[in-house]
Amino acid sequence: MASPVSMPNSNALDAHIPTTPRDIKDMELLSDVCLLAGEDRIIDKDIIYICPFNGAVKGKVLITNYRLYFKSSDPDVSVTLDVPLGAISRVEKMGGASSRGENSYGLDITCKDMRNLRFALKQEGHSRRDIFEILFRYAFPLSHGMQLFAYLTQEKHEENGWSVYKPIEEFRRQGLPNNKWRITFINKGYDLCDTYPTVLAVPYKSKEEDLKRVAAFRSRARIPVLSWIHRENQAVIVRCSQPLVGMSGKRNKDDERYLDLIREANDTPKLTIYDARPNVNAVANKATGGGYEGDEYQNAELIFLDIQNIHVMRESLKKLKDIVYPNVEDSHWLSSLESTHWLEHIKLVLSGAIQVADKVTSGNSVVVHCSDGWDRTAQLTSLAMLMLDSHYRTLRGFQVLIEKEWISFGHKFASRIGHGDKNHADQDRSPIFVQFIDCVWQMTKQFPTAFEFNERLLLTILDHLYSCRFGTFLYNCESARDQHEVRLKTVSLWSLVNSKIDMYLNPFYTPESGRVLYPVASMRHLELWVTYYIRWNPRIRQQQQSPVEQRYKELLALRDEYLKKLEELQLSDSPSSHLANSSTPNTSSSTASTPPQQYTRLHTPF
Amino acid sequence: MEFSEHIKTANVEDVVLRQPLHPPLRGTLCITGHHLLFSDREEDEGRSSGQVLLLLRNIDAVEKRTSGSSGTITIKCKDLRVLQLDIPGMEQCLNIARSIETLSCLDCVSEMFPFFYRPSELNLQDQWGLSSPEEHYRQATELHNRWRLSSVNRDYSVCPTYPRAVVVPREISDDMLVKASRFRQGGRFPVLCYVHRKNGMVIVRSAQPLTGANRKRCKEDETLLQAVIGGSDKGYVIDTRSAQQAQQARMTGGGFESKSCYSQWKRLHRHMERGKALQESLIKLVEACGDESSNMDRWLSKLENSKWLSHVQTALSTAGLLAECVERDGRSVLVHGSEGTESTLLVSTLAQLIMDPGCRTLEGFLALLEREWVQAGHPFQQRCAHSAFSHARLQHESPVFLLLLDCAWQLWRQFPLALGFSEALLLRLADEAYASSYGTFLCNSEQERSVAGVREKTHCLFQALLRSRHRDSYCNPLYERTELAIWPSVHPQSLQLWRGFFLRWTPQTRLLEEAQEEIRNMIVEWEKLVMS
Repeated sequence: MASPVSMPNSNALDAHIPTTPRDIKDMELLSDVCLLAGEDRIIDKDIIYICPFNGAVKGKVLITNYRLYFKSSDPDVSVTLDVPLGAISRVEKMGGASSRGENSYGLDITCKDMRNLRFALKQEGHSRRDIFEILFRYAFPLSHGMQLFAYLTQEKHEENGWSVYKPIEEFRRQGLPNNKWRITFINKGYDLCDTYPTVLAVPYKSKEEDLKRVAAFRSRARIPVLSWIHRENQAVIVRCSQPLVGMSGKRNKDDERYLDLIREANDTPKLTIYDARPNVNAVANKATGGGYEGDEYQNAELIFLDIQNIHVMRESLKKLKDIVYPNVEDSHWLSSLESTHWLEHIKLVLSGAIQVADKVTSGNSVVVHCSDGWDRTAQLTSLAMLMLDSHYRTLRGFQVLIEKEWISFGHKFASRIGHGDKNHADQDRSPIFVQFIDCVWQMTKQFPTAFEFNERLLLTILDHLYSCRFGTFLYNCESARDQHEVRLKTVSLWSLVNSKIDMYLNPFYTPESGRVLYPVASMRHLELWVTYYIRWNPRIRQQQQSPVEQRYKELLALRDEYLKKLEELQLSDSPSSHLANSSTPNTSSSTASTPPQQYTRLHTPF
Repeated sequence: MEFSEHIKTANVEDVVLRQPLHPPLRGTLCITGHHLLFSDREEDEGRSSGQVLLLLRNIDAVEKRTSGSSGTITIKCKDLRVLQLDIPGMEQCLNIARSIETLSCLDCVSEMFPFFYRPSELNLQDQWGLSSPEEHYRQATELHNRWRLSSVNRDYSVCPTYPRAVVVPREISDDMLVKASRFRQGGRFPVLCYVHRKNGMVIVRSAQPLTGANRKRCKEDETLLQAVIGGSDKGYVIDTRSAQQAQQARMTGGGFESKSCYSQWKRLHRHMERGKALQESLIKLVEACGDESSNMDRWLSKLENSKWLSHVQTALSTAGLLAECVERDGRSVLVHGSEGTESTLLVSTLAQLIMDPGCRTLEGFLALLEREWVQAGHPFQQRCAHSAFSHARLQHESPVFLLLLDCAWQLWRQFPLALGFSEALLLRLADEAYASSYGTFLCNSEQERSVAGVREKTHCLFQALLRSRHRDSYCNPLYERTELAIWPSVHPQSLQLWRGFFLRWTPQTRLLEEAQEEIRNMIVEWEKLVMS
């Protein structure tokens, strides 16, 4: 027996993967792959996976038009990889036919989801040529004139996720239109703004011609439009792009008047404009024709939120990847983490959203923009709405939030993620949406009973952000989606999710409709989302994940039974029965006695 | 004992109290021999929020500032709360501050509050403690073949820091124990602390052997250890010092089990920080947590520089190593450092939590603490005399027990179903270790407790916790017993700051506490109705 000097958890590697019987036949190795309808096998091959945790592992790889699947043939080291090709960012050849050293000839694959994969092949007869070419074609179909898998899949689900978000219904839920805000179809053919949705809410007093003139003064015609309205105080969150002030300091009376109409709509003395950028960046944007609202905007105050641009965020996440994959930085973990600045960026985004939400709660309307209004702006409006409106904290409400603030308002998913595109070094790529989901995760950690959905939903969303299996995150804007008939020809991610919602529910969810959530955006209360960023490392993986999920499922069942029984009792008993007032579903005594105002204090060190 | 001589001003009106999470209150301040009492002026019936009763023992540091005719006293507590009192009248302010300073660090055990605490629901005749060494042995029938209960220490003369009865190999006579005890620091000869039911392997703990510079030997000690492994061919010694430290210890009369004299034993050295280094780490951490300055950019570096989390990591990984020896390698283990009252206990306790489901219930965990800390002679009074805020010169203070609770919390967080107790219990224990109305953590050993009459004249914390109205809140509503060992992940990425303790007085932590309470109520309510 070896002396027990290894780390106590070192033997738990991949414990969740069922071990394969010793006498497994080569053929059978890949037989347990569960292919999707419409998924076709392209090639399979003997290969060596250079596992960063277990060393070289012999096995077989299967490439389909959707995934890369690897299974080890060595029964002692059970390793399975199941990677959607959409998650691949870059495929490169490693070593040459004459390279020396064991396993030096093969493929090096960089993924978008915080991992790299290396495979070695036999150094003879161009053994990697076919697999390299196939991977390169199928991982980057758009670069090869092929279709994304979302257009090939035949999968069927009970629910149709495309019906989750209907703009008019969502406006109606918010109480719109009303006598201050109207719905306009001016963008019906994407003529006003090609990156906006067709249905927009604008001040009642604005005329269609005004909108056109404002569009001329806003970057990419992304005019200020309503995202959310506070039911009681009628304060609104309005989003847009930067004004085209330029070096000469141009003014536009129509834009100025239009913003004042927004202020007037709920009769507050001042409109607050949140510019998500750092002050210097906003100034620098003047050189390229952009800029920010100056003193000419009377009755408005401008606040910069100091959030960095897409390039800074990309580099920050890259640094984070460097310290967590393949090897986690152990000796100076916390200071290394600090030097990536990732949590600091999270803090700034969250605290920006807190300021927006706080302003709106106190009855003041706000306008949010950055440069183009599709990255930082989407983060700020959607997070503020998540804090303000408990509907967005339900499983379906959260889907609406993403559909509305991200997808319909033209967050450039295609450019930021690079679906099916081989240009891995494209400067347009950036993890802005990942950062948003991270902020949501931070909130779920701080308010464990406030969200109807669980962490698995967030992980599933991020997995399919890259996978190209669903149409949900494809393309940059609605006009492109219409053109490519996404809703007709592809499946929505929400079809998958809503067909088995049990997997994504938080058993401890307690609806509280009036409650505004103010997370603490202090570094002291933020955590690295280890179960996402370091999930590929088997040593870090939290070990009893599956029993916990099992227990949560049991609790969900218990809750359902409880609700059923409660209903029976309330039906059979007279209204004055003992149970009728003792408890209503999910409203335990401690929450009922806690007034929501208690949560409305602001604790954000800036 | 006349406390009154320390109280020049007992009552002050018109004092303003500022405390975290509450709006300032104006009212009357009152100092008694053991408490600081503040009551709100407009005292409506049923509104108890205007009352604050603080055990003076809980106060770690007092800072006073006078300006003109009034003064301000800042009170920093051992539970990390910081209170502020604005007191009219400079002399009154100084009097109050002086009283607190004196009464908060009384040295005489019998003057401490547990000797005066007489709640109506508890009776001094109630059972004290959860179990005695005798009972514990009686219940562990699987031991009886090879192990016996020895009362060689019945008058604490062989080892002043051991309990009256200890479990030792059956074939070792009391005479041999006496001889072996002379070869171990403080007389702490190897005694049994755990038997692993799955394979019969044991954990034994002791102090370092007194081999000294001349490589002294002790036949009885060697025989005793041989008897521990019995027929087996090998055992492990886990020394909680580095090999170099163990070598150096020989210069001052200590030492280690050399290969030549203990040929069946394989030594593994794991350096664990103790004493002053731990205390300083705690001070740095608390300082970083309380830093109100706006510049929080360096928070993670500060957290790292405090080294607290790396102490947590070392403790958990050494405990993991110990458990691995026993559970996976199937060997018995002797664990010791130097005195055997600090890191030794830390490691043996955590290893039992990792391996033994019986220790993971509420009762099981409290019984474990009673055995491995109270009865085993961890010097609570010395180690917990002051906490992180004190201006007094450090003497014997060291937050080993707090470190244990933090490690238990890490296990609790990594295995949300496996432990039967809650974070609230760990917080309560952390408070009680430093300032308590109960006698459990008084004194430094069973002998001292016996002399002071702790059993007869104070109430037992563990009993009180188990009988408490709040017992439910000390249980984990998600608990599901598992027979498996719970191997913690000890990578820095898997360890978290124990915010519930270190950032306890922030609104966010309070919200999380409320959410946990809510979850507990929910599950209880569901089960009640569904089972009915």
